[in-house]
Amino acid sequence: MPSIGTLAFDEFGRPVLILKGQESKKRLFGIEAHKSHILAGKAVADTLKTSLGPRGMDKCMVSPDGDITITNDGATILSMMHVENEIGKLLVQLSKSQDDEIGDGTTGVVVLAGALLEHAEALLDKGIHPIRIADGYELAAKIALDHLDKIAESYPLDLTKLDPLINTAMTTLGSKIVSRCQRQMAEIAVNAILNVADMERRDVNFELIKVQGKVGGRLEDTLLVKGVVVDKTFSHPQMPKEVRNAKIAILTCPFEPPKPKTKHKLDITNVEDYKKLREYEKEKFTEMIKSIKDSGTNLVICQWGFDDEANHLLLSHELPAVRWVGGPEIELIAIATGGRIVPRFQELTAEKLGYAGYVRELNFGTTSDHMLCIEQCKKSNTCTIFVRGGNKMIVEEAKRALHDALCVVRNLVRDNRIVYGGGACEISCAIEVAKEANQIPTIEQYAIRAFADALESVPLALAENSGFSPIKTLSDVKSQQIAENNPRLGVDCLNTGTNDMKAQLVIETLIGKRQQISLATQLVRMILKIDDIRLPGESEE
Amino acid sequence: MQPMIIILKEGTDSSQGKSQILSNISACQAVAEAIRTTLGPRGMDKLIVDNRGKPTISNDGATILKLLEIVHPAARTLVDIAKSQDAEVGDGTTSVVLLTAEILKNTKTFIEDGMHSTIIIRAIRKATALTIKKIKEIAVNIKSNDAEEHRALLEKCACTTLSSKLIARQRDFFAKMVVDAVLMLDELLPLNMIGIKKVTGGSLEDSRLIAGVAFKKTFSYAGFEMQRKKYLKPIIALLNIELELKAERDNAEIRLDNVDEYQKIVDAEWSILYNKLEKLYKAGVKVVLSKLPIGDVATQYFADREMFCAGRVQEDDLKRTQKACGGTIITTVENLHEQSQHVFGTCDILEEVQIGSERYNFFTGCPKAQTATMILRGGAEQFIDEVERSLHDAIMIVRRAVKNDSIVAGGGAIEMALSRTLRDYSRTIPGKEQLIIAAYAKAFEVIPRQLCENAGFDATNILNKLRQKHFENHIWFGVDIIHEDVHDNFTAAVWEPAVVKINAITAASEAACLILSVDETIKVPKSSAEPSNAAKAMNMT
Repeated sequence: MPSIGTLAFDEFGRPVLILKGQESKKRLFGIEAHKSHILAGKAVADTLKTSLGPRGMDKCMVSPDGDITITNDGATILSMMHVENEIGKLLVQLSKSQDDEIGDGTTGVVVLAGALLEHAEALLDKGIHPIRIADGYELAAKIALDHLDKIAESYPLDLTKLDPLINTAMTTLGSKIVSRCQRQMAEIAVNAILNVADMERRDVNFELIKVQGKVGGRLEDTLLVKGVVVDKTFSHPQMPKEVRNAKIAILTCPFEPPKPKTKHKLDITNVEDYKKLREYEKEKFTEMIKSIKDSGTNLVICQWGFDDEANHLLLSHELPAVRWVGGPEIELIAIATGGRIVPRFQELTAEKLGYAGYVRELNFGTTSDHMLCIEQCKKSNTCTIFVRGGNKMIVEEAKRALHDALCVVRNLVRDNRIVYGGGACEISCAIEVAKEANQIPTIEQYAIRAFADALESVPLALAENSGFSPIKTLSDVKSQQIAENNPRLGVDCLNTGTNDMKAQLVIETLIGKRQQISLATQLVRMILKIDDIRLPGESEE
Repeated sequence: MQPMIIILKEGTDSSQGKSQILSNISACQAVAEAIRTTLGPRGMDKLIVDNRGKPTISNDGATILKLLEIVHPAARTLVDIAKSQDAEVGDGTTSVVLLTAEILKNTKTFIEDGMHSTIIIRAIRKATALTIKKIKEIAVNIKSNDAEEHRALLEKCACTTLSSKLIARQRDFFAKMVVDAVLMLDELLPLNMIGIKKVTGGSLEDSRLIAGVAFKKTFSYAGFEMQRKKYLKPIIALLNIELELKAERDNAEIRLDNVDEYQKIVDAEWSILYNKLEKLYKAGVKVVLSKLPIGDVATQYFADREMFCAGRVQEDDLKRTQKACGGTIITTVENLHEQSQHVFGTCDILEEVQIGSERYNFFTGCPKAQTATMILRGGAEQFIDEVERSLHDAIMIVRRAVKNDSIVAGGGAIEMALSRTLRDYSRTIPGKEQLIIAAYAKAFEVIPRQLCENAGFDATNILNKLRQKHFENHIWFGVDIIHEDVHDNFTAAVWEPAVVKINAITAASEAACLILSVDETIKVPKSSAEPSNAAKAMNMT
């Protein structure tokens, strides 16, 4: 009976209704509930397992509207999968929060959580109380985190030497589709971050970095513009295609005679009045142009549109103009050029103008696509990464890959400690945790050992994806690590001949790894703690 | 022939008599069954999905019962007492329900044997009074002269509450945080002065307490990014004014018959807004917070003058800012001048900080810091929700403990002590009440028994050990969850405020009496709705 415990009978043996819609509700209880959670968690983790590492494969997802996404970013895959199961949803959120916080390692965290659940199942079968398993996991996580701190190395963060940063970014990009031009992308990411980073506060505002994509060209054509790129063109085709030493007026008012916001009505009763109105409008236009001219502007950027008359006037006064530029872009331009956003013409003065050394329209191939590129700005702390690629999916995936790389570099700016990737730090933690496990007197010992095993799932998956025999590779590396007492040994996914990750320059941030372990453990605790699920049945209507 | 007299509406479900009491009791037991396993440090969580598909994972009795949508009238009483316990003391919601069900269960046999329920009720009332007297007698008063010691007491109480929650492992961390937060408040300890903000991502240990106010960056218009992100000792103005260029009156219409007037109207509208902004600027305000929107023009105006602004700030955030930083919420700027400093607040540092993927405004170092903000981090949304509920319980307990510093030992100790006292007492009275009070005494044992059962211990064995210890007057002996034994919970610092227990016992007894005193339910069917399933079942018989 699915709903034992919620049924009560009165003295005649008739069932008494206690819950609303009781018969249709589904309930899973006790060990069955645990088993079903673990199954769901494992299923989600298994989907992602093959995406891990430099030899990881991509997934192709087709949305209900027929849009295709190809990616190997864990968070993206899970969010596009539309997981229905409640436990599955928890894992989706897990990877999303890793994405929000760290930006990278979204696959790894899910694989780890899945492995923890899988090992918990075996322990449950032994009859260990789920909370004790969770307790053991948390003890183990603490050991692992302490160990990570121990093996972490401080990384030189020198703004003149970018190589170390680039190497880290390359590790992240290694597993992505853009690994073809790994180095170039990594450099772009590092330069972009250093451009906007506030080294004093160790804060990086991502809103100052814009990632723009455009289909066409090759991945190699991707470039970093120290300035702003907007998907707009000059308002009139006859305007010059480039402006040097641009003094930019950034306007948020429409290029038309100002109107009151209050509802109004102008009664025109005779021809005289009509002419006056015409006169007034004309006067306004000239006034506007004049105020712009007087301030010394030679480029107008306007948030709103303007009609043909205004357009013509601007052209005839040799004022190149751009219209319908969105709010965020206006802001970026203002920050980059050091200008001020001007809400009305009366306030336009020379001091409020922004300055850019070079503004030009970019053309792409044979298409009539144009983009406006504002470079050599007064304050160059905004930048735009302009991604090119053969098709939409590549561009999108490259954007995601760059986002990951940007996040990793940002994390290094925040905290410059690193650990070695390629499964090296997981193996090292696993060895340490397993060693500590023997010193624990209570039954949590079993859970701690299971945790050590689960940690090994990451290098196992790495080896498997790279086409090695997973168990053999892992045991080799493990014995080598113990023998040499060297926590930098990992799985040599790319067959470079050495498995010293320091030599291979496979580097990951410490906070990223720490985050993975603690997030996964805490989530698994939550899942293990549930022993009762109640689902609404199919609605009766 | 006897004519049938119909008194009640067709389809009315009416049942009465002894059987009615019995069926009500079994309904209550069924409800208690549902939350039985959540009790104690080894208690499990429930996952409940409501009709709209929103999942909730909780360990909190009141939350679970609320989500179960109980329709049975008698069982609803249990939901109500859980809610009232939640509102009154915040914690112990599961115990109160369990206790009620157990009292009912133990009196059931007497009802079956034909004892009149009023006798039972009288005996229960008497027993309750005795119990409360006993609690007050044995409760230990910890003097709060020493601030250090007082703090330690509060932290221990918070720890006891948190030990059964999801964050049990981090309970020391959170207990400290909760106590810090509560001690920051003023005399009345208003709950709404502790703000809890949730940001997914990060691990639990990344949660932090801010002595002051923090809220998420509000929606901002272009120009916001040009404002400074850090202010020292700013003058803060809290407004309830819309700073936007807009129609002053929605349903007003202006009729113009002269073109010359046109510009005047436009100017008038602008000057209304500019006057407001200038007043603020002239008064020396550096930070402007408003409950109502702050438009783009105003944002840019402030950015131009090195001022910071945030519009659409949530009302409670604004109120807390006011508490923390001083000043008043201003509804007009007309009377502002440089001397009107008293209406403005200030704080040491205002900073915009990145947390996870969100940006937060922090106001720290407030002069009247009688408010605190907790920023919770965690892997998934439901996870943080549950952490919030747990912290809410802990905050309530600490608030209670601050006001009332007498405590008792938890972990079943106090219940065993009460049970023993009542049993001893029952033997001194002749008459039927003896039986009832003995049954009532036995009901208390449900708490330690359930603690054992949830942890997978041999409940009978532990209970026998406890009874023996209590007979030897070791009144603080309770269940030792870690070592599967009994020990002195007072020295082990499993503490609960006495008032929590008093409230729980009173509420449970009253609810039990209420249910026992009902001997007839008349359920009027919903007009035109199909008869309920119980009615259908009855028709079939």
